[in-house]
Amino acid sequence: MRSTFHSLEISKRALFTQQAALSTTGHNIANANTEGYSRQVVNMKAARPIEAVGLSHSTAPGQLGMGVEFDSITRIREKFLDDQFRNENKSLGSWSVRQDTLEKLETIIAEPSETGIRTVVNNFFKAWSDLSKDPEKTDGRKIVREAAMAMADAFNTTSRQLEDLKGDLTANINVTISQVNTQIDSISRLNAEIQRVEGLGDNANDLRDQRDLLTDQLSKIVNIQVQDSPQGYTITMGSVALVEGAQATPLTADSVSAAYGSGALNNGEIHGMILSRDKYVADYQNQIDTLVNTIANGEIEVTIPKGSVLPNNTVLGNKTYTGADRELKEDLTVKVNGLNGLHKLGYIFSDTPTAAGDFFTGTTGTTFQVNPDIVNNPNLIATSLRTTGTGTSDTVIKGNNTMALLISGLTNTKFTFPAAVAGTPDTKATMDDFFRSTVGQLGVQTQEATRQAGNQKVLTDQVDSRRQSVSQVSLDEEMSNMIKFQHAYNAAARAMTTFDEMLDKVINSMGVVGR
Amino acid sequence: MPYRVTQGMMSSQLMRNLNANLHRMDKWQNQMSTGRKINAPSDDPVGITFSMRYRSELTANDQYQRNVDSAVSWLDYTDTTMNQAGSVLQRLRELAVNGSNGTNPDTAMKSIQSEVGELYNQMIDIANSTFNGKAVFNGQNTTQAPYPKTGIADLDLSTLKPADSGEIKYEVGAGIKMPINVNGNEVFGGTTETDSIFQIFKELHTALGSSDYSAVSSLIGKIDSRNDKFLETRSQVGARMNRIDLIQGRLADININLQSLQSKTEDADMAEVITNMKMDENVYQASLSVGSKLIQPSLVDFLR
Repeated sequence: MRSTFHSLEISKRALFTQQAALSTTGHNIANANTEGYSRQVVNMKAARPIEAVGLSHSTAPGQLGMGVEFDSITRIREKFLDDQFRNENKSLGSWSVRQDTLEKLETIIAEPSETGIRTVVNNFFKAWSDLSKDPEKTDGRKIVREAAMAMADAFNTTSRQLEDLKGDLTANINVTISQVNTQIDSISRLNAEIQRVEGLGDNANDLRDQRDLLTDQLSKIVNIQVQDSPQGYTITMGSVALVEGAQATPLTADSVSAAYGSGALNNGEIHGMILSRDKYVADYQNQIDTLVNTIANGEIEVTIPKGSVLPNNTVLGNKTYTGADRELKEDLTVKVNGLNGLHKLGYIFSDTPTAAGDFFTGTTGTTFQVNPDIVNNPNLIATSLRTTGTGTSDTVIKGNNTMALLISGLTNTKFTFPAAVAGTPDTKATMDDFFRSTVGQLGVQTQEATRQAGNQKVLTDQVDSRRQSVSQVSLDEEMSNMIKFQHAYNAAARAMTTFDEMLDKVINSMGVVGR
Repeated sequence: MPYRVTQGMMSSQLMRNLNANLHRMDKWQNQMSTGRKINAPSDDPVGITFSMRYRSELTANDQYQRNVDSAVSWLDYTDTTMNQAGSVLQRLRELAVNGSNGTNPDTAMKSIQSEVGELYNQMIDIANSTFNGKAVFNGQNTTQAPYPKTGIADLDLSTLKPADSGEIKYEVGAGIKMPINVNGNEVFGGTTETDSIFQIFKELHTALGSSDYSAVSSLIGKIDSRNDKFLETRSQVGARMNRIDLIQGRLADININLQSLQSKTEDADMAEVITNMKMDENVYQASLSVGSKLIQPSLVDFLR
C-alpha cells in the first residue's frame, strides 16, 4: 500500500536530482577553461523500490518505484591517458631544455660569421703572413700583437660565456628544485585533504583535478611514477620517494645530483639542465680549452730550413745546439710544443741574439693570454731564425723571416690534440679542422635535440588532446544536457502539479456531497 | 572512432597550427634577410663544416694573393734596377772599348776615367737600392746596404764584403714558399770572382788613369763575362715573374671556385625562399581567418 504523498515524494526527488544535475552542468560550463578540470557527471539511478507494505505478504504488485536519486558526482577521466601523458611529458621536459641550451651554445659559438673564433684565428695567422713580408719592421709586429690579443679575447669571451651559461643552468636547477618542492608539498596536502573528504563518502573531484594538474606539471620537471593508494598518490622519482600520502620529501641540490648520478633522475627538465651543464657545456668548454692549449703547446712537427741558426744551447730531439752546430747544414724536421715551442727557437727583434720566449700564456680558454711581455713590447715577437758572425759580433739578421713563415704555415700543420676520453688515441688535425668538427658536432646535437623536442611535443600534445577529448568540457554537450535536465525538471514540477491537483480533488472536493 | 571534440581542444589546436605556421615563416624570413640558408650550425651540420672550410680557404687565399702582389712589386722593382744596371754595364763596355784605343791622348783617357768614376757611383747606388726600406741585393740582411758608399778612388777591394746569401721567401700558397730576391753576388759578382763588377771598375779606373791601353783592353773580356752572368740572373728574374703570373692566375681561379662553392653551400635560393614564404603566408592567413570563424559559434549561440 503506497502512501498518499508517495507521488509528491517522487516528484520532489526528481526536482532535487535534476537540479543537482543542472548545477553540475553549470559547474562544468563555469570551468570550461579551467586548466586541469575534468567534466563531472551526476550519476543518477532509480531509487530503491519499496515492497508493497502489508500485514502479511501483500498480493499487490510490488517493487513500487521510488523515483530518482544520485549517489555520486564523478569526474570523467582516464587514468591510462594520465600515465601516458606524464610519460611523454618528462621526455619533452628534458629535450626542450637540451634544445634550449644547445641553441644558446650555437649563439655563443657564433658560426657561420665573420666575427667568430675561426675568423680571429685566421686573422692571427694572416698577420704573421704579412709580418713575414716585412720582418725588419716594427709595424707588422704590432699588427701581429693586436691580432693575437683579439684571438685571445675571442677565446676568453667564449669561455666566459660558457661559464656564465653553466652558472645560469645551476641557478635554474636550484629554482626548479624549489618549484618541485612546492609542488610535492601541495600534492601531499591534497592527498590528506582528499582522504579526509572521501572518508566521509563524498567525491573530492575538484581536489583530485588540482592534484592531477600538479602531478602533470611535476611530470615535466622530473621523471615520476605515480601510484594511487588509499592514502593518496605515492610519487617516486626512480627509487627516490617524493610524496607518500601526506608525507613530502623535499629535493635538495645534493639529492638531485645523487639521483642524477645513480640514474634515478633520468628525464624531465632538471635532468635536461644537469645533462646540458655537465655534458654539453662542459664538453664545449673542454674543446675550447683543448684548442687553445694545443695552439700554444700542442705537439707539432716543423721543418727548420737549412742555414737557420738556432739560439745557443737549444735542445731539440736530445741534441744540444751550441757553437758552430747552431747553424743547420740540412733541413731539420723536429717536434716542438706548439706555437710557444716554435716561437722560442727564434730571436727577438734586436741586434744581439736573444732567444724569444713563450708567445702565449695560460692553458685554458679563460686564462689564455698573449704573453704580457709581448703585449708591452712587440719587439719580443720573433721573426728571424738566423744570425751572422760569431762570439761578440754575433748579430741577428733581421731580414730573415723563417720564423714568421713557419708560424704562418701552422694553419696547414696538423697539431696533436689530446683525446677527450682517456685511453683513446690523440687526434692529429689542423686548428681549423678541430674547430670545424666542434661546430659540426654542435650542429648535429642541436638538430637532434630540436627534432626530439619537436617529436615529444607532438606526442605530448596528441596524448593531451586525447585526454581533453575525454575530460574537457564541451559547451555544446553541456548546453544539450542543460536542456535535457531542464526539461526533466520542468516535467517533474508538472508531475507534482498533477499530484497536487489530484490531492486537491481528494481533499477539497471529495466528501462534500449535499453541503 | 568516437571522439569528443571540445572548444578548448579546437582553440589549442588552432594555436598550435598558427604557431607552426609562424615558425615556418620566421625561418623563411630569416633566410630572406640574411640571404643564407645556413644561419646556425644546426641548419645544416654537414653544410656548415664545408662552409667554414671555404671561408677559411678564402681568407688564406686572399692572404696569398696579397703576398703575391707584394712579390710582384718586389720583382718589378728588381727588374727595373737591373735594367738600369744593364745600361750602366753597356756604357761601361763602350767606355772600355774607347779607352782601349791606343790613339787616345791622355786627356781623353782622363775624361773617360772620370765618366767611369761617375758610372761607378751610379752602379753603387743601384747595388744599394732599397725597396720599401729594404736593401734588395743584400739577401736577408736587408737592413744594411751591401756595398761601401765611397768614391771609386777610395774603394778598397779587400774590405768589400760579399752580399748576404739568404733567400727571402714569400708564402704564395699553402706550403709554397717562393724566393723573390736575387742575390747581389750573382748580379754584381762575388768578392772572390775576377769579374766582380767592382773589381772591374777599380781596375779599369786605375788602367785608364795610367793610360794602360792593353790593361783596359783586357778588361773588356771581363765586362762581357760579367754581362753574361748578369743577363742570366736577369732572365731568372723574368722566369720568376712568369711563375708569379701563373700563381696569380691560379689563385684568382681558386678564389672564384671557392666563392661559388661557398655560395652553393651557404646561400639561400631567393626564388625558392620567396615562393615558400608567400605560400606559408597564404596558409597563415587562411588559418587565421578560418580560426576566427571556427572558434566562435557554439550551441549557446543558437539556443534561445
